[in-house]
Amino acid sequence: MSTVVREGNDKRSLDYISNKCVGCGICTDICPTEALKLGPVLPIARGLVDMDYVKVNKNKCVLCGLCASTCPFEALVCKIDDKNIKDLSTYPEWKHNAEIDDDVCIYCKVCETTCPRDAITIKRELPDRSKLVTGEIEINKDACIYCGICKEMCPSQAVSITRKTPINRDINVDEEKCVYCLVCKRACPEDAIKAVCGACSYGEYEINPEDAEIKGISILKNDLCVNCGWCQELCPVDAAKVIKPFEGEVLQDTAECKGESCHACMDVCPCNAVNIVDNKSAIEQKFCILCGACSKVCPQNCITIKRHKMNLINIRSKSWQKQMNKLVSNGF
Amino acid sequence: MPVNIDMEKCGKIKDCPGEGLCIKLCEQGALVEENGELVLYPGKCDDCDLCIQNCPNQAISKE
Repeated sequence: MSTVVREGNDKRSLDYISNKCVGCGICTDICPTEALKLGPVLPIARGLVDMDYVKVNKNKCVLCGLCASTCPFEALVCKIDDKNIKDLSTYPEWKHNAEIDDDVCIYCKVCETTCPRDAITIKRELPDRSKLVTGEIEINKDACIYCGICKEMCPSQAVSITRKTPINRDINVDEEKCVYCLVCKRACPEDAIKAVCGACSYGEYEINPEDAEIKGISILKNDLCVNCGWCQELCPVDAAKVIKPFEGEVLQDTAECKGESCHACMDVCPCNAVNIVDNKSAIEQKFCILCGACSKVCPQNCITIKRHKMNLINIRSKSWQKQMNKLVSNGF
Repeated sequence: MPVNIDMEKCGKIKDCPGEGLCIKLCEQGALVEENGELVLYPGKCDDCDLCIQNCPNQAISKE
């Protein structure tokens, strides 16, 4: 993290928060004083050099706050008298967002496993297994020879055997764990286990729906989320809603693309939106946030970002609008 | 067409600000270190140009 601070009529500061930065270069594109410089993004993304993506030149920065207002990742924070300008009514406000509706969520964790930023945590409480099965099981301890075959074969680890002395032994089945699959009964060489599965005997066994309920909560860390849309796309119940920072398209001319030899685009993409298919880069529009990181690192200039709209509102300054127009192809 | 290396700009690997970054980036094995110096195996170069783009000494080019 680097900081620029200056005091005059008001105290202004700019913080660069390197772990939020994705190296897209939006800030370096719009900085009016060329105070921000993009480092070697690909080598940094590959872990070959230990540097920040962006370098802030303290002598050139005028603390205007344009970069902080424009960075979709909140990697730059500008404060005036210790107040973040994104909380001030006179400064622009991003409308990109991601949320998971817990009333709809079934806690399947598809979003958690897919999220490229590890921004989602699903905590869930599973139903008691014993309430979802029905049956009876009994071990005839006089017939049991304590061979342990049932214990080894039990898929739910419900059988336990204790051996205090060679003749003082005991065997028990934990009915909280047993699912009455009857594997132990079939495997027992001495026919010492009597077991019956209620569902098998009576057909479809009716369980109380409340006993099968899966409870949980979803936690979406907005400071890590880049609004890529993977969760929204894969959620089976449409519980995730994402608004991306930009609207538009990414265009690829892969004639010169070196595919597997290069894969620079894939390595820098913060969204896992890039794959190499048939030895050519293939960007999945659905998951692209049009940040432009890939287009800047492509040595063959195969990728063009065309942004039609920026979901940023309340841009009151004409000069800021003019500067931000550099990011959007047909302006605001 | 493989890349060209300007050996004067390149210098010794030990003096490279990127500590031989081009070698690390080249997955074709076309750029290797031999006796402390950068050596190009043109037959292995795949023209991805990552080395040109990332050389801190701007020692690699095409022409």
